[in-house]
Amino acid sequence: MKTRMKEYRARLGITQEKLAEMVGVRRETIIFLEQGKYNPSLKLAYGVARVLGAAIEDIFILDDKEV
Amino acid sequence: MARWILIVYSVISLLALMLMLSRENLYVVIALAAGFLLLGHRELWSLVRYGRMPVIDERVQNNLTGAMRITGVFFFILSIVLILLFRFNVFKNTPKELIISGQLVIVGFVYVVSYYYYDRVQPYLAGRALRWLKICLITAGLCLSTIALAIVLHNMVSRWLGFEDAFFFVLGLLVAPSVLALSLLGCLAIYIKGLCSGLREVEQS
Repeated sequence: MKTRMKEYRARLGITQEKLAEMVGVRRETIIFLEQGKYNPSLKLAYGVARVLGAAIEDIFILDDKEV
Repeated sequence: MARWILIVYSVISLLALMLMLSRENLYVVIALAAGFLLLGHRELWSLVRYGRMPVIDERVQNNLTGAMRITGVFFFILSIVLILLFRFNVFKNTPKELIISGQLVIVGFVYVVSYYYYDRVQPYLAGRALRWLKICLITAGLCLSTIALAIVLHNMVSRWLGFEDAFFFVLGLLVAPSVLALSLLGCLAIYIKGLCSGLREVEQS
């Protein structure tokens, strides 16, 4: 899974630490999400998207094979 | 949930520590203390470094569930093996407290290893390395059961034939342990490789 979290986060000028705090997760989880190493639950994906001010599908991009 | 488990474990450990100290079972006291440090090392580290308990999010919860599952299965298998060994008087001259303490520490160690496997190793291992890790683990398991089976068969065949059987002796005491050592080394190498790249990647991000 690809994510555009880093891009959106940079646009808003917030750090991983800050985003983690706002979403209520650990900083490592944000790192794993940004690297596409962890598939979030719908709840977490929704939380991240809401904080970053975008739709879930704009941030988390699934390949056709993964769907 | 995990936080509550840690708190309950701490209270039970403390009570058990006091009880064991009063009965002078030092082995169990050391094992309980080591088990507590192994189980709660992340919480303790966070308390020391940041002065607060760490956040337990869904990723950590998933990792904890996976680690608990592996530890539970390991504890169950180890207990059965130990019960059988006690039943056949293998530990005739070894204090029971020492064996149980060792079991507690090993179980704590397995928990930490499996937690870090889910937390840092698995995400950073490529598909091929993960496949090799599985192969090495399965081989190690097969070798362990081969050793046990070869010992039993060696004794049975030797009794039936009336002379010392060589095949199962060599298999159980030379071949299987060598393959076991090799597969464990393979597991360790892949695990350390994954752990190092996981720690490095997280540190750099």
